[in-house]
Formats: sequence, C-alpha cells, structure tokens
Amino acid sequence: MNVLEIRNLTKKFGDFAAVDNMTLSVREGEIFGFLGANGAGKSTTINMIASLLRSTKGEIDLLGRSISANARFAKSNIGIVPQDIAIYEDMTAYENVRFFAGLYGLRGETLKERTAEALEFVGLGDKHKSYPKNFSGGMKRRLNIACAIAHRPKLIIMDEPTVGIDPQSRNYILNSVKKLNEMGSTIIYTSHYMEEVEEICTRIAIVDHGKIIADGTKEQLKSIITDTKEIWIGVRSAEPVQVEALKAIPGVLSVRVEEQTVMVSSKAEVGNLNRIIQQLIKDQAEIRSVEEQAPNLEAVFLTLTGRNLRD
Amino acid sequence: MKDLLWLMRKMSVSMLRKKAGLLFLVLPIAGVLLSMLIYGSSNGMDLRVGIVNRDGDEAVTRDAVAFVEGLDRVKVVMTDEETLKKDISEGKLDSGIVFGQGFAASVREGKPERLDILSVKGAQVTAYVRAMLNSFVGNAASIGSATDGDAAAFDRIYAAYREGGFRMKTETLEDTSNRKDVTTQSMGYLIAFMMFSAVNMSELILKEKENRTFLRLLSSPVRARTYVLANVTLNFIILTVQIVVTLIFMKTILGIDSGIPYGSMIASLLLFALASIGLSLLIVAFAKSSPMANALQNLIITPTCLLAGCYFPAAFMPDSVRKVANFIPQHWLLDTIDKLQNGSSFGSLYLNLGILLAFTAAFTLIAVYRFGRNNDTRMFV
Repeated sequence: MNVLEIRNLTKKFGDFAAVDNMTLSVREGEIFGFLGANGAGKSTTINMIASLLRSTKGEIDLLGRSISANARFAKSNIGIVPQDIAIYEDMTAYENVRFFAGLYGLRGETLKERTAEALEFVGLGDKHKSYPKNFSGGMKRRLNIACAIAHRPKLIIMDEPTVGIDPQSRNYILNSVKKLNEMGSTIIYTSHYMEEVEEICTRIAIVDHGKIIADGTKEQLKSIITDTKEIWIGVRSAEPVQVEALKAIPGVLSVRVEEQTVMVSSKAEVGNLNRIIQQLIKDQAEIRSVEEQAPNLEAVFLTLTGRNLRD
Repeated sequence: MKDLLWLMRKMSVSMLRKKAGLLFLVLPIAGVLLSMLIYGSSNGMDLRVGIVNRDGDEAVTRDAVAFVEGLDRVKVVMTDEETLKKDISEGKLDSGIVFGQGFAASVREGKPERLDILSVKGAQVTAYVRAMLNSFVGNAASIGSATDGDAAAFDRIYAAYREGGFRMKTETLEDTSNRKDVTTQSMGYLIAFMMFSAVNMSELILKEKENRTFLRLLSSPVRARTYVLANVTLNFIILTVQIVVTLIFMKTILGIDSGIPYGSMIASLLLFALASIGLSLLIVAFAKSSPMANALQNLIITPTCLLAGCYFPAAFMPDSVRKVANFIPQHWLLDTIDKLQNGSSFGSLYLNLGILLAFTAAFTLIAVYRFGRNNDTRMFV
C-alpha cells in the first residue's frame, strides 16, 4: 500500500518551476531517502506534502486521500521534523512536546502518556523539566524529533535531522529512525550525508531541478553507473592540479579536487588511467596513492546530476 | 474552539514568562501616574499665603486678615516682611500680603492704599487673593467714603457690616477644567501604551516565524487563521484588562473622576483597542523581523500619538498639525472622550465611533491582504 502518492506535482514561483511535474510514491514501512542538492526542490516538495504550500498543478494523496481535500486528516497523519530546530526556548522539554502534541487534539491522560513516551524515545526522559536553552545541539535535535512524533503519525518527514550535531547524537537519531520504522512509521528522510542515507534508507529518490531523475533501492541506483568508474588519486597537494586539462582527457566525465585528493569520474570502458597520471605528473602534483572506488551513492549522484550533493 | 483555547493558553504562558510582557501589562498605569505628575500638580492644592501686618491692632486690618484666613483653599501664615520675601522666593509660599502702616486709616478715608500683594508665580496666583480681598476692602472703603471722615459713623456702620448686615456670601464652584485635562492626558498615555502593548502581543507571530515554530504550528491540523484569531483574542483580552485596571486605578487610588459614565468610557476604549490590534497586525504583516517591527512601531506610534495629543494637549499645536491628526485613530478617541466630558451622549458620537471602526477595518483588511500575498513559507500566515 502506498502511504504517499505524488502525481505530476508542479510548483512555480513566477516563471521558475521549483518542482516540475514530479511523480513518486512512498510505500508503507519504507524509509524513503530524498536526495538532492540545495535548490533541487526537496523542501518545496516537503512543504506541499505538509500542506504548507499549495501546488501549482498535480495531486498528492496520503493514505489514499487527497491532501488538498482532506488537509486536516493529512496533517494529523504527518509528523514533520524540520531542518531548523523549531522548539520554544522558554518552555521545558515536556511543555514543548505537550504543546505540539496538543495541536493534534490529544488531551488529558493520553496527552501526558504520549508526551512522556516521546521524550523517553529520544532519550530526554530525565531532562523533561529542563529548558532547551541548556541543551546541546544534539539534545535540541532530539527534542525537535520528539515534538513531531508524540501524536504517532503514519508518515514522518525528517528534513536533515542530523545537521550540526556530535557523532553520538547522530547515531542515536539514526537508531531512532530505524526504531520508529520498526514500530510501523513510514519515513521520508532527507540528508546531505550520503553514508546516512546508504545506512538507513530502503529506497532512494534523487531529485534535481525539481524532477525525480532516479528512484530505487541503493543497489538499483548503483547499477545505473556500472559503466563509470571512480578513480581517487592521493597527492601531496592538489593546488597545482589543472582540472580543465584532466577533464579534456578522453573518457573523463567529471573531476573533483579536495585538499589532497583528486577524484576523477570516468567511463569504465576507456583506459585512460595512464593519461590521467601523466597529466598529474606534468602538473607537478606529487602522487601518493591511486585507488579505484567501488560505485557508491555519491558517485551515482554525481553522475546523474553533474554536481556534488553538498553544492 | 479547542485549538483556539490551546493556542491562547500557550501564548499567555509565553507572554507571562517574559519580563517585558509583564511590563506591558502595567505600563498603562505608569502612564496615568506620569500624567498625574505632569498635569495633576495644580489640582486640589491649597494656596499658601503669608501675611505681614505692619498696621498694628487696627480692627479693619484684623478683619482683613481674618477674611483672607476664611477664604476657601487658602492657608495663611503670619510672618514678617523679610521672611515673607525669603519664603516666596524659596517657593515655601505662593503669595504674600503686606498690610502697610496706615492701611486701616486709608480705608476709613475711603481711599484704600498701603496694601501690597506679592508673588513670584504671577497673576494666576495673586488674582484670586486680590479679587477676594478687593471685595472686602472695597466694601469697607465704601463705608469710609460714605461717612466722609466721621469716625463714629464709620465704626457704627462697619460694626453693623461685620455683624452680617452686609456679609458677602461666597460659593465655591468645582473647577472641572483641570480634571478634564488630567483625564484627557491620562487617556492619552493609556492609549499610547495600549498601542505598544498590542504590537508587543502581535509580535509573537513574528517571533514564532523567527523561531521556525510557526512552520511547525502550521504543519499541524491548526489553521493559520485560528492561530491569528487566538493571538487577536488574547490581545483583546489583555487590552480589556489594561483598560479596566487603569480606570479602576484612576478612580479608586488616584481619585481621578473623568466625569464620563464607565460604560461609555470602556466602550470607546474597547473600540480603540480593536483599532490598535488592527494596526499591530498591519505592522507585523509588513515587518520581516522583530527588530523591523519594533522600528516600525516606534516610527508609527510615537509620532502619531504626539500629533493626536496623547502626550500633551493638542491645543499647543498649530492648526495645520491639528488637521493632520484627523487621519489618526488616537485623535478620534481623544475627541470622543472630550465630547463625552462636555456632555454629549455616547449614541450621538456615532461619527467618531464609526471612524474608529473604519480604521480597524482598514488596518485589518490591509494586514489580511498582505498576509495572503506572502509566498514565503517561513513568513506566511
């Protein structure tokens, strides 16, 4: 059963189409990864799913019912974990969760139980009387999640829930996402961290310029790029590397340069490794290692969109 | 309805937890106190008059002193000339009367002289004492003039005059002009603070946007209009409390009686409260951040309050400026209060009340239009 179904969704701001005829579906029980660079149309899509923005064209169904005709029903069944921490600093952790859960109609004992349950779930049960201003970034992120799940939504949308937090909190949140999924929630997860998406998502859609350009499991996506190879060359310093000269080598699809690594994406069938190395020697980049990478989501993304996820 | 109450409860908690929020609740009372300080100082004060009698134990002089002592709201201190001048210059006395040697004799002759009235505060202070004393001295001098130097005849007629045959009866009329000024200015400060308070409350909407909690609120089943309605309702309740508390404070603690029935006064102020809320929504609709809203608030409220005569009487301003005040809601409320004090009935002021309603409608409609045109998900209502 599809929890979410989007058909021919379009959102235009003037002449600019932020979302362009997008069609996708999210099945019950999935952790659905939604990948795209900044400005690709992810947030606009999420805002339309959450009924925060009206679409210019197209349909969104939640649990088989159109969200435009059943906004209250749709909102009651969605929990949004916004990218920006959206909590009240002047209210305790308990009061925050209680207030937001109350917006979904929960009252009395049920409200108390669900509030306590949500705080326990994110590991803030013992901090329920504390004010968020005294919390670390990770704790605030966890409270941000608790505020979205206390009403037990069928669909949870998590927009970059691990931005700017310590590894411990990050692991905690990733485990929480898996646990929520095991408990029956369907999750849409957006992140800039490709390894997170690889770790937890059961299906992934790559969005670029407002369109879904690929959709499938990570294995299916990686299979798209079996005709490309990824060569990582370690250098003493990437400063002298002439990127344009490397790109001019036959078969090279793209070149990325970090401090001490040159990452070349190339057609698999073209034997151009020698020419790449010769060019680097010519550029007087001191080569330290050469490594051919197995296809990963990063490479898939780069191949399909021509840019890095963090661009 | 449940959503509305839930939101109002949360907003109340947020407001009461902020020190500034609490301050805005009591500011109108502070405004009334300030107004009392500025405009109420001359109300109900006794006139302190020092008297120097250099005319000895003359009956006429003695009676003149007793006459001044008997005047309403005059407190007399017998003193010497040097102390009198010193006390007047130091402000310990408002005025001084010097009965010079020969004063009684000049009265007996029908040509009163050797009477000096001193003050550093000008004619407004001496006029009352001079006018009252002149009536007494004039009567006695008339007897002197009529008896034409016949001392025995003067004493006889004067004794009869003292006995009451010619007693002057004074009646004190209540001076309502000062009460009116204090009421108008107190209302001026009250409405200025009401406007600041209204914007402070509406600013919660902007704060929610800045904290991103607004987006979260709107992703819940609560509608944007319910949220704004909760804000407006709570704003109205707070302004109502401010009005009622301030009026009770004015009446019971400060003893200011506006002379207007409470029903008419509260109804006018509540109508103005609606206009204030409309204006606060307008400011919030156009401001993109709290600092911008604060700047707009100061740019709009303070000058318009000045123009309308909230801080000092509009009569001090030139005609051209007073005409501009016709386009300001504060002016119409103060005008309503003024007319109510002058005896107009509430119902007869339909033009004033209609204009206040029109301001409310105009502000609110522009705000709603502006909110509706906003396409930024982080900013829209």
